Amino acid sequence: MSLIENRFEENLLTTKVDWLINWARLSSIWPMTFGLACCAIEMMAVGAAHHDLDRFGAGAFRATPRQADLMIVAGTVNFKMAERIKRLYDQMPFPKYVMAMGACATGGGPYYKFGYTVVKGVDRVVPVDVYIAGCPPRPEALMEGLMKLQEKIRNTSVIRKPARTA
Amino acid sequence: MDFQGIYDRLRAAKAPGLLDCDLPRAGDPADKKDQGRAGDAFVLVDPAHWADFFRTCKQDERLGFEQLIDLSATDPAKDDENFWVNVQLLSLKHKHRLAVKALLPKDPGRIATLARVYRAAQWHERECAEMFGITFEGHPDPRNILLPDDWAGSPLRKDYEFPKEYHGISCE
Repeated sequence: MSLIENRFEENLLTTKVDWLINWARLSSIWPMTFGLACCAIEMMAVGAAHHDLDRFGAGAFRATPRQADLMIVAGTVNFKMAERIKRLYDQMPFPKYVMAMGACATGGGPYYKFGYTVVKGVDRVVPVDVYIAGCPPRPEALMEGLMKLQEKIRNTSVIRKPARTA
Repeated sequence: MDFQGIYDRLRAAKAPGLLDCDLPRAGDPADKKDQGRAGDAFVLVDPAHWADFFRTCKQDERLGFEQLIDLSATDPAKDDENFWVNVQLLSLKHKHRLAVKALLPKDPGRIATLARVYRAAQWHERECAEMFGITFEGHPDPRNILLPDDWAGSPLRKDYEFPKEYHGISCE
């Protein structure tokens, strides 16, 4: 960047493509309107005025997977739903991210042993980027999960392979 | 009407299949194994006259049970030969309730549908059928209601074995 800096007229900004794209992506993670159980109530609270998910640019809940970047799996996933989740995930455009919110979506939660129709973790159906602990997680936890996801996006690269982190 | 009044009325109306009634009682202090019986008083009905009994309950002027509140089943134990089929009735007109139970042999596990008497029984019976494997004869719409259509086994039976995988998703 330094090579071309200050060589153009004043109102021309220079930046790195990676930085620009990552900034654009992480500042407008539009989630899908999609809740499965009590975690969805907490997710709605995060979207509402008090916690205000829009501060992160992630407050625009889209009612279609084709406009969404992030799928927050908020609740218990059962086998009947798992196939629908897979289909919704397949309908989302790249880049797409998945958050497993709460104990159920992370690993079956309280239904692990006797829930005969509960999928023991949504990561058996779709790849998960961020897991959020809690039953249900507090709004702060969901926001931290979103910030973790932003951090993850910030470290991605479109033109070279991402550097390995130890 | 209280329970005794309802029971006497059922006897007087010669309700088909009425076998007995059971009242809650305290355990015998001398006999430690006798735990007594808690819960509501219920009438025991012969499953062979299942639908006819409820038709009487609904049509009798003094009983007047116009609502079916709940229909469910119980599997007491793995080696038990019977299911319990439990029904709760309510009369808004006379402000009284009745619990009805039947002992249904697990083999073959077939009982008449109540959907022709109380339409509310339809969904309850569909749930009961998929959870316990009970066949409700003459049910107008015997599909699964909660479980996927191709689900194998009846989850609420005590001898149910959990699936290893479903449509390629591991259950282990």
